[in-house]
Amino acid sequence: MTLSMKNVSKVYKEGDSQIIALDQVSMEVASGEFVAIIGPSGSGKSTFLSIAGALLKPSQGEVKIDNKDISKIKDKELSNLRLQEIGFILQTSNLMPYLNVLDNLLLLKKMSGKVTKQDIAFAKELLKELGLGSKFEKFPNELSGGERQRVAIARSFMNDSSLILADEPTASLDTNRANEVVSLISKEVKARGKAAIMVTHDERMLAYCDRVYRMEDGKLTLQ
Amino acid sequence: MFLALKELKHGKLRFTMIGLIIILIAWLVFILSGLGNGLSTLSAATIKNWEAEHVVYENGAGATFSKSLLSQSLQSKIEAQPGVEEVAPFSQSVIAILPIDGVAEGEDKVDAALLGIEAGSFLHPEVIEGKAVDPKIKNGVVANITLKNTNGYEIGDSVAIDGSELNAEIIGFVKNETFNHLPSLFANMDFVREYKYSAPGSNNGVEDAINAFAILGKDVDAAQIEKEVDGVEVVTKSAAINGMPGYTAENGTIMMMLVFLIVISAFVIAVFFYVLTIQKTQQFGVMKAIGASNGFIAKAIVSQVFVLSFFSILLGIGLTYLTAMVFPEEMPFNLDPVLVIIYGIVLLVISVGSSLFSVRRISKIDPLTALGRVE
Repeated sequence: MTLSMKNVSKVYKEGDSQIIALDQVSMEVASGEFVAIIGPSGSGKSTFLSIAGALLKPSQGEVKIDNKDISKIKDKELSNLRLQEIGFILQTSNLMPYLNVLDNLLLLKKMSGKVTKQDIAFAKELLKELGLGSKFEKFPNELSGGERQRVAIARSFMNDSSLILADEPTASLDTNRANEVVSLISKEVKARGKAAIMVTHDERMLAYCDRVYRMEDGKLTLQ
Repeated sequence: MFLALKELKHGKLRFTMIGLIIILIAWLVFILSGLGNGLSTLSAATIKNWEAEHVVYENGAGATFSKSLLSQSLQSKIEAQPGVEEVAPFSQSVIAILPIDGVAEGEDKVDAALLGIEAGSFLHPEVIEGKAVDPKIKNGVVANITLKNTNGYEIGDSVAIDGSELNAEIIGFVKNETFNHLPSLFANMDFVREYKYSAPGSNNGVEDAINAFAILGKDVDAAQIEKEVDGVEVVTKSAAINGMPGYTAENGTIMMMLVFLIVISAFVIAVFFYVLTIQKTQQFGVMKAIGASNGFIAKAIVSQVFVLSFFSILLGIGLTYLTAMVFPEEMPFNLDPVLVIIYGIVLLVISVGSSLFSVRRISKIDPLTALGRVE
């Protein structure tokens, strides 16, 4: 299993009261699977994504990413785990504004050391697959919203990590663009054998997903 | 370096403005240090040029020539002390000179420092024009070249010394010789004595009065000389320079301005980079979320500040030398390359150091900000 969560809870203390953001959540995602999580805002989707993405540690339960237990990893090494094992597709405008499209992808390689010729070739191949073959030298502000999101998708695949997490990837896109972006994620996930989770409000996008979970008041149920 | 340079290239206007601030600060620092250096040279160049290691004053003179009165007869006793290689008497007086036929319309008398030495003494600077001080030409004086360049005096000119009946003849010129901010005028000791002690009792009854002795010799024991020779105090050359009237005060003022300037610039630069960093909180959050370590981001910031400061300081130095070229010649401006390098490094260390505040801030950014909805 690429991602395995068992009885995961996250509790926030607020003054004297406790807020249970996640309540005994269990879930498994295997490679090649594309899973969606829907639910109203405040239901705990962000907390779920933060824990699955090794940005937060759970209060209880076990989270394994590619068979590594994140509660046993030191905080300092979590950033490296995120770099190597997880590809994030975040909401809009999360590309580095002063790097061109190609450099935005290569940034991930810079973080872990040197950029090789193979890395450049791989980045170009990814961008071509996502229909950005003519935009290598463009800066994010010269791209449309859909194109920016496609760059973000390419970036999440850049490190060949096993888990792809998408946070509202269609938030600011119209229906056509949104369909295009999600179908591309789905296509890449299947083609490259990744495990992927998408958190979304957008029920139109569920058709692309293998399974759909609903999150409500911190509880996760399969639909 | 990768991120640093790409961002510098992309945000030209923003970084040009910050660079401009650093250039201006560096410019100001170097101009001030040049002026300080120039002033202190003007104040004591003649003493600084001495090869001597120690100077002997009258006890109680506090290393000030004008307060010291000794008899030249002590010379042989000092020469006999261990480690002393050579001893030279020195005497000084502030005078005003004017052309012998009176001051012409639109001209002024010229202030100068009349310095008495023995002909052939190691205190005599190298002559660049004309002859050296010569006992056979009793009233012959060797003047600093500014008397020629600025005031138009030539070799062979006779000048009257204001307030006395003495006339002097300019027989040579030297360069970079100033004393108490005045151009130096080297003369025979006897001539100086004749001017200085013409009034009865003005020499306090001291025979063959002089102001001080300069001592050549690396292994001189100052305390030993003070013990063996009555009524003298022996100080190092740098103490003698500090004893020049106004020297310490002048230097202190300039140094204080420099220190304040440097402290203030540290704050200004730190605040600039800090604000710049806070603006990019979201960006750094994203980078951390996708896996950047604190070290990676810190390196990007520090190298960016380094590159920006390094080139700005270089430009500041260039600007300073350009400014120095248009300064009027009389302006006491003297850039010491060693000082320029030292202050350049200090400024660089300060800007890079101040960027560490920003780095600290970044290490605290929560990558969750990248999700745009921190709970």
